Amino acid sequence: MIKCIHCNVAIKGDHLVCPLCAGILEDKGKEEDVFPHIPTIYQEFNLFIRILILVSIVAVVISFAINMIFTKESRWAFLVAAGVICMWISLFFIIRKKSNIPKTILWQVGIISILSVIWDLSMGWIGWSIDYVIPSVCVLAMIVMAVGAKILKIGVRDLIIYIFIDAIFGFIPLIFILFGWLSVTFPTVICVAASIISLSILILFQGDNMKQELDKRMHI
Amino acid sequence: MTKRKPIEWTKLDNAAKIFPPTSNEKDTKVFRFVCDMKEDIDLPILQEAVDKTMLLFPFYRTVLRKGVFWYYFESTDLMPIVQEENKLPCSMLYHPNRKNLLFQVTYYKTRINLEVFHSLTDGTGALGFLKTLLYYYITIKHKDDFKDKLPVLDYDASLSQKMDDSFLKHYTDTKLPKRIKITKAYQIPGRRSIDNRIKVIEGAMSVKKVLELSHRYDTTLTIYLTAVFIKSIYMEMSARSRKYPVVLSVPVNLRAYFPSVTARNFFSTINIKYDFTSSSAKLEDIIIEVKESFERELTQEKVTANMNRLLALEQNAIMRLVPLTIKDMILRVADRINDKGITTTLSNIGKVTISPELAPYINMFNCFTSARRPQIAICSFQDKLMVSFTSPYKETDIQKNFFRHLTNEKIDVTISTNIKEI
Repeated sequence: MIKCIHCNVAIKGDHLVCPLCAGILEDKGKEEDVFPHIPTIYQEFNLFIRILILVSIVAVVISFAINMIFTKESRWAFLVAAGVICMWISLFFIIRKKSNIPKTILWQVGIISILSVIWDLSMGWIGWSIDYVIPSVCVLAMIVMAVGAKILKIGVRDLIIYIFIDAIFGFIPLIFILFGWLSVTFPTVICVAASIISLSILILFQGDNMKQELDKRMHI
Repeated sequence: MTKRKPIEWTKLDNAAKIFPPTSNEKDTKVFRFVCDMKEDIDLPILQEAVDKTMLLFPFYRTVLRKGVFWYYFESTDLMPIVQEENKLPCSMLYHPNRKNLLFQVTYYKTRINLEVFHSLTDGTGALGFLKTLLYYYITIKHKDDFKDKLPVLDYDASLSQKMDDSFLKHYTDTKLPKRIKITKAYQIPGRRSIDNRIKVIEGAMSVKKVLELSHRYDTTLTIYLTAVFIKSIYMEMSARSRKYPVVLSVPVNLRAYFPSVTARNFFSTINIKYDFTSSSAKLEDIIIEVKESFERELTQEKVTANMNRLLALEQNAIMRLVPLTIKDMILRVADRINDKGITTTLSNIGKVTISPELAPYINMFNCFTSARRPQIAICSFQDKLMVSFTSPYKETDIQKNFFRHLTNEKIDVTISTNIKEI
């Protein structure tokens, strides 16, 4: 065993300097280490993400530059910037919740719905967000979750709560119909119908599971 | 149709609730128990022993998940897979949104390591698991030695006793605590390493020798080592920072105060304070004051009151209805404020005992925790006393002061560490 003459302690393992005082040790033959050597781990941002950030910055900067040089009268570069920001908001939640696929899908439904309404409002209300976007993302999410769960073999228990919330969310467009805010009604009608059907399936065939799942997640 | 398997889930106990929101790469809230055997570890046998142990601790086969108002443990089909140690000590075990077990068994040469995320259980609970694991490991590995008679496992608890939430069981209604003033404690400065690795420095010494030494100061081993630790911190304090008191947070095993053999969390903490503006820096004086603090804090009334205070917060109706995301934020802020009030933590595991038939195969037990600042854990087995420092900092001055103090008192210390470069 090696010894540090300054600290007067014996040292196990293969060391050049004393771990306590960093003094030089007398060498008395090598000994087995007590801990495995683990090289320094450098945490870096994913390269893909870094490239994507750079591309976004370049795109925004170039469009502002072109906007200011050639088309001073319009302000279209703001639209580019807004688009890039929306993409990043959406991507941020995908990355953050990536390990839970149904949850990610549900979050995207919410985010896309909210962002589309904001876009629609800020570009002079035409109504495309509630006419088309909200009902179609709801239905799309239901289909993706049901099909995706089969392919990725996600357990029913992990899925039902998200389908349930999505189906409930699918009833919201019903309000738009009742208030007569819509100019095109067929996407909303399909969405509400799909919601009613999937909710019925859930309650009829997964009723017990649903109840347990809700108990578990909502316990106070 | 899918199989109808009941969903088993459990609430987190009172102490467990603070750990998920406050754990991160810098402070993983993972602790490790080490058992050093006299021979190299045999992987297939260790795996077999782990599989058998799992049957007795079904509660440990859970993942931590987020609900709307609280976190909860959900039972899982995952089984622990034993691996040779290939990660930094006390690496992250709980990752939000990821489903994995909250503990891990690894081995390296003669050592078996059990790493546990603190929400799952505390030191005593983990030790119960480790002892069961060792029981199986040794009796399988040395089958021939136990031909006639199998040893008795010295952890006696039924499944429901292990699962018991002892906090709730022993909670007596109390009013919400009034505001507690936190006085700022001395904070140890230091430089972190790039990958947030913690530096582990274990010192092995003889229980008998240290005991003799503490008797010379007319005190117990724990109090003596606590005093030496405070003194070691003092020696590194700058003159200006000496106006702040040194506050040690000491976890207390509540099983000693209430009848419980739970394999989940059941601990509380007390604070041991030493103020260098009003008291001297002489070791004798520190010992006297530390002794008084322990006697003052470790009464049944004080410990119970402290436990009830934390439970009253948890059981408060308004707190319960706050959504989890906001609760997480509140807990993080509370944790940070609480942190300002303590200098470091001293965990005393005490004497580890095991069935006498199993003891000859074991060299020593040790324990250490993830650390936000230099911390100390004390643990003994037979005549082997292990004092382990864990620190996120590169500096080792407090550790040096501590061990040099002991070697100056003619105690043989053997150091082992996980870091080679300075």
